[in-house]
Amino acid sequence: MGRFIVRRLLASIPVLFLVSLITFGLLWLVPGDPASMFLDASATAEALERVRRELGLDRPFLVRMGEWYMRLLQGDLGTSLLLNRSVTSAILERLPVTLSLTMLAFFFAVLIGVAAGVVAAVRHGKAADQGMMTLALLGLSIPEFWLGLVLIWLVAVLVPIFPAGDYVPFFTNPWEWARHIALPTFTLACVQMGFVARMTRSSMLEVLGQDFVRTARAKGLPESYVVVRHGLVNAMVPIVTVMGIMVGGLLGGAVVIEQVFSIPGMGRLIIGAVLSRDFPVIQGGLLFLALIYLMVNIGVDLLYAVIDPRVRLE
Amino acid sequence: MKLKFLQLALAASLALGAVVPAMAQKKGGDVVIAMTAAPPSLDPHATSAQVARNVNLHIFETLYARDEGARPVPDLATGVTVSPDGLTYVFALRQGVKFHNGKDMTPADVVASLERYRKAGASASLIAAIDTVAATGPNQVTIKLKTVQSTFLGNLSSPRAPIAIMPAEEAAKEMGKAASIGTGPFSFVEYKPDSHIKLARFDGYKPNPAYKERDGFAGAKVVHIDSVTFRFMPEAGARDAAVETGQVQFNEQTDSTTAKRLRGNANFQVISSLPFSAKILKYNMAQGAATDVNFRRAVQMSLNAEEIMGVAYPDNNRIDQSWVYAGSAYHTGRPVFKQDLAGAKASLAKSSYKGEKLTFIVHNDRPTVDAATVMQQQMTAIGINVELKVADWPTTSGIGLKSDQGWNFWTHGFGIEPYEGPASAMSHWVKGQGQRKEDPTIDALFAKFNGEMNVDAQKKMFAEFENRMADEAIATNIGNYGLFQVATSKLKNFKAYRIPRMWGVWLE
Amino acid sequence: MSATTTVQAANAAASAAPGRKSFVRRLFGNRSFVIGLVLVGLIALLALLANVVAPYDPLKGNFRERMLAPNLQHWMGTDHFGRDILSRVLHGARISLQIGFMVALLTGAAGVIIGATAGYFRRTDGVIMRLMDAFMAFPSIILAIAISSVLGASVTNVIIALAIAATPHTARIVRASVMVVREMEYVEAARALGAGHARILLRHVMANAMAPLVVRMTYVFAVAILAEAVLSYIGVGPPPPAPTFGAIIANGRDFIIAAPWITVAPGLAIVACVLGLNLLGDGLRDVLDPRMVVNR
Repeated sequence: MGRFIVRRLLASIPVLFLVSLITFGLLWLVPGDPASMFLDASATAEALERVRRELGLDRPFLVRMGEWYMRLLQGDLGTSLLLNRSVTSAILERLPVTLSLTMLAFFFAVLIGVAAGVVAAVRHGKAADQGMMTLALLGLSIPEFWLGLVLIWLVAVLVPIFPAGDYVPFFTNPWEWARHIALPTFTLACVQMGFVARMTRSSMLEVLGQDFVRTARAKGLPESYVVVRHGLVNAMVPIVTVMGIMVGGLLGGAVVIEQVFSIPGMGRLIIGAVLSRDFPVIQGGLLFLALIYLMVNIGVDLLYAVIDPRVRLE
Repeated sequence: MKLKFLQLALAASLALGAVVPAMAQKKGGDVVIAMTAAPPSLDPHATSAQVARNVNLHIFETLYARDEGARPVPDLATGVTVSPDGLTYVFALRQGVKFHNGKDMTPADVVASLERYRKAGASASLIAAIDTVAATGPNQVTIKLKTVQSTFLGNLSSPRAPIAIMPAEEAAKEMGKAASIGTGPFSFVEYKPDSHIKLARFDGYKPNPAYKERDGFAGAKVVHIDSVTFRFMPEAGARDAAVETGQVQFNEQTDSTTAKRLRGNANFQVISSLPFSAKILKYNMAQGAATDVNFRRAVQMSLNAEEIMGVAYPDNNRIDQSWVYAGSAYHTGRPVFKQDLAGAKASLAKSSYKGEKLTFIVHNDRPTVDAATVMQQQMTAIGINVELKVADWPTTSGIGLKSDQGWNFWTHGFGIEPYEGPASAMSHWVKGQGQRKEDPTIDALFAKFNGEMNVDAQKKMFAEFENRMADEAIATNIGNYGLFQVATSKLKNFKAYRIPRMWGVWLE
Repeated sequence: MSATTTVQAANAAASAAPGRKSFVRRLFGNRSFVIGLVLVGLIALLALLANVVAPYDPLKGNFRERMLAPNLQHWMGTDHFGRDILSRVLHGARISLQIGFMVALLTGAAGVIIGATAGYFRRTDGVIMRLMDAFMAFPSIILAIAISSVLGASVTNVIIALAIAATPHTARIVRASVMVVREMEYVEAARALGAGHARILLRHVMANAMAPLVVRMTYVFAVAILAEAVLSYIGVGPPPPAPTFGAIIANGRDFIIAAPWITVAPGLAIVACVLGLNLLGDGLRDVLDPRMVVNR
């Protein structure tokens, strides 16, 4: 297993390198630079040139690219042009926020989704099944950012139960943290919940129809035991498959939810950097996100090996 | 009629404001301000961004500053003697002014700061006319100009990228690296990137004895509160929520809907800072359809200013098309242009426009995009084929500052120039900077204005400038708009200005 | 991802489909498919006829009728320009369907070319898949935002950006199918008989990869509509005054208290479109490839 991890980690490096290359490609093509963020609308071309020079943006692109890679090899992601701090510190401060939001949403999506899927599979064909699957399908079809806006309107403005946005760190005030993260988490989890529920249901149906389950039932084992110990455990493989993709969807969704709820996470950091052309932050942030995505995928593959020894780790 | 009510309301609140100082001021308390963005730099010379001004003008002061009526008055200086030929300015400095690090302000500090700004300041062109700066006495600094510049004191006192006075040691540092040590009523406490900047009352500050009360950026700046924290909150919804829950005491910018909703609420005061900026439509006179004056006139006549400003800045606009704000001595109160569809179509027919597709660039600020959308509809109504191109500010400004990037129209705010005065408003169109093609008449007017010290003559020249801009449709000034701000009603004696001033206010 | 391949192998074997005659009947017997088809069909019809059906010009604002709640003259109310929201939603549906369709088409084409190449010609597999992995490591929204910023905001560029974001996953699916079928006996037989690569690819390999591809394309269509809304909401979608769903919602965001209908109406329209497409996709999957892993 150790060898597997090392091999996968090594295999990630060329992918990360490609990610950084693609990012540079985009940055090279994208017009504009952060100099105009320093000055107001009546800036002259000369003033902009001067700011550009001060920021070091007048040097040739390949030189700047080479410098970035040099620094990367020393573990330094550079300094943000507009935030007045190192890229690493900006990311490290924002990352926990995004991760906590994503992980909470993941947790709830899996919890509720699997439960719903199991219930639907067990009550196959009956009202509960139809109802759950319709809800799941509905959840899949709702745009997350719109759901967030509507929820803000309903339960944060019209009936002020929850706050309309912003973020409170857990260690500052756990109760407020919970209040602030509730709506974003629910919004983010909603879509994925439907996904997981459908996945679980179809996987469960497949497993529950198999011989060994019938045998277990024939042996007189209690139904709940059969469903969970034999059914669910064996149905997990496709669900785990989906988990890796889910995290990608959650990370992408988190980016938008952070905008809607004004949460200071990675998503807003990167979008803000893209819109103001803060190159070092765009580079570092995207690299980090890619790293997380790859790590999660390695984790998912490891999970396969744990759940299903039949799966060979190539 | 809505405008009249607004004016009455403004007048009433101003009158009320004059009564307030009689109330007792409480000392102490902390004010938190929700600001739309973080300053790109804390070095006051390095940036002309509004959010940087908000913070830096609490920490730093300048030799001369603008008073409540935007006129240049002494701040760190006590006065100036100008030589008869207009080339030598001798500034007498205030005595006993301390920097936040305890040091006394000396002429050497002033000279170093000015030299630094001259070399690399964000708006260094403002003082390009300076030939030499020297300390010429224990409390005296002499500036010699290369040519006569009637607007020199105005430029020196421009709050745009303020020519802040800092200790000579700080001025020696590279641009962007100077520490936040100034002479202002607040001193720098901490900066948490991406979160907030905190300032505290500087107890060693001595309000300018030449004044009795606050006066624009000058005057007697008496601080009653203990500290002010500027929190960076780019999302409008978050700022609104924060002020309503009491997390912050002041929201630097909110929209008309929130303002309307909170107006009746006794816990909050809604402040309208009108005029804060002007909305202008720029034409690319170097390339494309807008090189033709008939085309530009057609466009200008097709616009309906009330509709544009009414959609983009509801309840917070004034159709005033002078290139300085009302209240300035140079304000001409010229008649506004009226929409004239027939005349527009006629002018369009006379022009060389053949129906080709035109590009209207605009940056992605909602009111600006809304204004552009309405303008586009109005232009389409007379037969102009124009498409909006929305992008972020760096992209848009990058395109608009060049002539050959394929743009025809550009709209954005014109805020600080009308406030600074006629020379500032004119300078944007000199050497073809804004409109991409030199207009010799404007260039000549500007040069003459700079050399003319007589105010009446200046007023005539400015009126000529405004006529030229309108007749030739060099650019179209659509109207003024304001800034809606919300504060807790516990914040007393607050008066709107170019920045949310935290001196002279107190918390109940 | 070996587990996926295993499942896909099982699917490919199972989907050696039964007789064609019952195919259409099975399709229309599937409730999901029918409901989805009706819903999508209705929306598509309304959208295509938007010019005729819409009561007002979606771009023209009536200054005196701003921010009206839904009433008899304006069934969905008006926005802060005075534009009729129902008309904007109908035209928005047309734009969204257009974008979704083109994205699905482009993604399908690109996915097939790339995936088939990687799956069939083993030497290219490593490089191509690394490249696909790199693209997949970007959150697709950010990729789309970046591409939009580079290309500029327009309907065409949104299509390109979303297609680029969706292709890697599709390529992966095609590749998996192709890899499974490539090893099968009848392909080896064909090769032994001297059939060229192209012939094998088209006749045998692709025929089998078609089923999961078609289902995936339906989902891509649905996701593209959602993604376009996000792009428009953030501000990098087709420029105003284009009445895309996301743009209408973005406009309504600042007035959500005063005029919630501006936000609610287009959102419901999105849900209707995407729901219909999801139902369609489900029906297709049930009939074409019931044991396919439901991936998006």
